[in-house]
Amino acid sequence: MSELESSSGKPNLTPILDMVFQLITFFMLVMNFKAAALDTSLRLPVVGSARAVDAQGQVSLLILNITKEGNLNVYGQSRTVESYIAGEAQAELLAARQKNPKLQPGDELPTTVVIRADRGTEYHMVHRVIEACQQHGFRNFALKALNREEG
Amino acid sequence: MSRRRRRKSQEEVELNLAAMLDMAFQLLTFFILTFKPAPVEGQVNLRLPPPTPVLQKGQQRDIGEMAPKEGEVPKGVSTLVITLNNNIQSRDPGKALSYTIGELGEGSTVGTLDQLNNKLQSIFSNPVNPFEQVIIQVPSRVRYDELMKVVDVFTRQKMPGDKKLSLSFVELPQTEVPAK
Repeated sequence: MSELESSSGKPNLTPILDMVFQLITFFMLVMNFKAAALDTSLRLPVVGSARAVDAQGQVSLLILNITKEGNLNVYGQSRTVESYIAGEAQAELLAARQKNPKLQPGDELPTTVVIRADRGTEYHMVHRVIEACQQHGFRNFALKALNREEG
Repeated sequence: MSRRRRRKSQEEVELNLAAMLDMAFQLLTFFILTFKPAPVEGQVNLRLPPPTPVLQKGQQRDIGEMAPKEGEVPKGVSTLVITLNNNIQSRDPGKALSYTIGELGEGSTVGTLDQLNNKLQSIFSNPVNPFEQVIIQVPSRVRYDELMKVVDVFTRQKMPGDKKLSLSFVELPQTEVPAK
């Protein structure tokens, strides 16, 4: 009774503030900042045998989003297939030369090309991208797919 | 000294937390509204060598030979060709209607993925399986997910002795390809 009288009627906001900050921390941590490189509007094909991404070791990735219309999207911007891949291959070659100075243009590059193509894309559009990558020395490909249908 | 301390503690500086709480709730609202868990994406890792030209029957024996019959191993056969067949005249030209194992027009054609799976199982379960690489021929109008279904079937196959086959995709040009 005496405690109630002594309190000035102000609620103690400290616990609620603690809780809110914990929630904020949680949402900040689970926020996916990598999603900027991924075009979430694409409907990926569903492949049951698709494995979870194995991020063992420091593998450099080149993420290519191919829309249903066959456009190459990188960080939300449409790019020309040949020139973009040629530019990336040049950059990857320079980076790979630090480990292996003998690498020549057209040699196999250690980068993995991650292809995220819409399930409705006609094959010739995907093939154009794969072929351009192969011409510039990319050999390792990761075809993105969903394990099961979403929603 | 002790008197001064006592006076300080009696004054009790009170922080007004209401404003901070407002801001924290705003931040929380922002994070809740923008929270969109990314779907769990898997991937199929492939090593795709540069494309090699597919020769027609008679030009090269290696490409597109039929699967060996039981107890019979054709010499020089190293490539298994899987072809997706579509009909560009149909309403859905992007759909693979059947799958041919072997050379175009020559191999055995199956209508469903289950049948393709069974066929591949019977080929790969052969301990003297002579194939070293697999080429998937895809008509240019076929949809990407139809190819991925075949890749799915292929990657599920168990090779005797964990032998690894190389995989290549070849585009079969089709007329009526829309101008880029």
